[in-house]
Amino acid sequence: MAVYIEHLFKAYEERDGEMQYVLNDVNLTIETGEFICVLGKSGCGKSTLLNVIAGYLKPDKGSIRLNEDEIHGPSAERGVVFQQHALFPWRTVSQNVQFGLNMRGVPDAKEIAQKYIDMVGLTGYENKYPSGLSGGMAQRVGIARALANDPKMLLMDEPLGALDALTRDSMRRELERIWQITKKTILFITHSAPEAVYLADRVIVLQKGKVSLDQRIDLPRPRDITNPKFNDYVRQFESEITGVAADSVITE
Amino acid sequence: MTFAKETKTTAAASYKTAAARRAKRDKYFKIGSLILFFLLWEVLGRINDACQWVDPKFFPVPTGIIASAYTYLTDGTLFTHLGISVYRVVVGYAIGVVIAIVLGSLIASFKTMDNIFSPIINLFSPIPIMAFLPMFILWFGIGEQSKVILIAYTTIIYMLSYVTEGIKDTDPVLIRSAVSLGANPWQLFTRVKFQSAFPNIFLGMKGALGTAFGAMVVAEMMGASTGLGYIIVFSKNWFKMNDMMMAAIAIGLLYSLMFAILTVVESALFKWKKETTGGAVEK
Repeated sequence: MAVYIEHLFKAYEERDGEMQYVLNDVNLTIETGEFICVLGKSGCGKSTLLNVIAGYLKPDKGSIRLNEDEIHGPSAERGVVFQQHALFPWRTVSQNVQFGLNMRGVPDAKEIAQKYIDMVGLTGYENKYPSGLSGGMAQRVGIARALANDPKMLLMDEPLGALDALTRDSMRRELERIWQITKKTILFITHSAPEAVYLADRVIVLQKGKVSLDQRIDLPRPRDITNPKFNDYVRQFESEITGVAADSVITE
Repeated sequence: MTFAKETKTTAAASYKTAAARRAKRDKYFKIGSLILFFLLWEVLGRINDACQWVDPKFFPVPTGIIASAYTYLTDGTLFTHLGISVYRVVVGYAIGVVIAIVLGSLIASFKTMDNIFSPIINLFSPIPIMAFLPMFILWFGIGEQSKVILIAYTTIIYMLSYVTEGIKDTDPVLIRSAVSLGANPWQLFTRVKFQSAFPNIFLGMKGALGTAFGAMVVAEMMGASTGLGYIIVFSKNWFKMNDMMMAAIAIGLLYSLMFAILTVVESALFKWKKETTGGAVEK
């Protein structure tokens, strides 16, 4: 599903009555099957952008169209994966993955759920409750739950942000593998430049509510992080975000 | 070979976690405390019989209470009184729980309902139920109706805030993920908000059981001719201390039994909430 974002504005009222623009005239087109990473510092508006596309927040001005249709609130066609896994604690892994299918009364929900549980590598954990899972496992369930519902698009709000560095690393590879299989349109929010370069077809840098850079990544997949070109991209984005020479920034 | 294997299994069987050992020790300790309490009580009573510090009539002892229970049991009245008390508290409590859940859900879900009901509930809730009983008797008669309604009323008042707060406290990110998975408003309520509030609602149910019992005793002490509360007022008129104690203990046991049932149901319902560690710091 292609997404067309045109002249999108979102503001919050400051204490002194002045408007604080979180999204300031954002224009963006996402093609069907594209993996887009939105990169930026805290407070640059990247989560707000995702929340508007998901339908949780209403734009003040501008339009978001999915193919031909203007969006009206959240819907099952736009699956969301959150930073905190957001699993239903009273449902087992399998029941969590089945949630969307149950809501729509899809038959064979259990079998479909199993397929996605296998895909994210959690076979054998079907009957565990979220409280018994590690952070990385819970996040996999979150991804399986979103995928099992077969959305046209996947919105991911720093899904790896709460994980430790090693788990993050393996999850990135997993995620790329899953994307290769499912070929969903993905909008992925992150503040890590290497993560964006590793995953994305296109990286969007957001600064002060504006798109400051829209860069296609021309590297073969799976991406080789030792490739000099990989690091060129990382450096380019880091200096774009921080505004200083990239060598002085330590990133994980 | 066999020997080695055997020692291994016995070692595994005798192994207990620190938490399990502590739980066992705590249990024996508590049972011991109870036994000691009754023993001391009996001994003090016997000494009092001999020394007459206070009139023994006003110092019931465990054996005397058991004798009272036996009398009530043999003439068949114990089960009549016990039965009617159980009936009143179970029916009143059940009605109260259902109404509290429905009303609380409406208040938490619709602002209009909140605006209509909350001021009225806030007006009546601070008034102790004892103040209502005479009115209830005049309105609903001296029969079962007034007692059941009183018990239901106290249950509702106690539980309502647990229901509304529980539902309103649903984690917003769970609501977001549910709507993005295609839940409609009804599904969002039944499958997410209510489920998320359920432990809190159950907490309210357990607390309300205590107030329901309080209402039952009050109702039976005023304008009743049966029930455990009635035994207490009736026995008071005849200085039957043992009978009063027996009825009070029966009320306590009945409450503990129903509370235990709720606790069993709770642990079955909320398996997903089980804590894995023995508290903030293991001792």
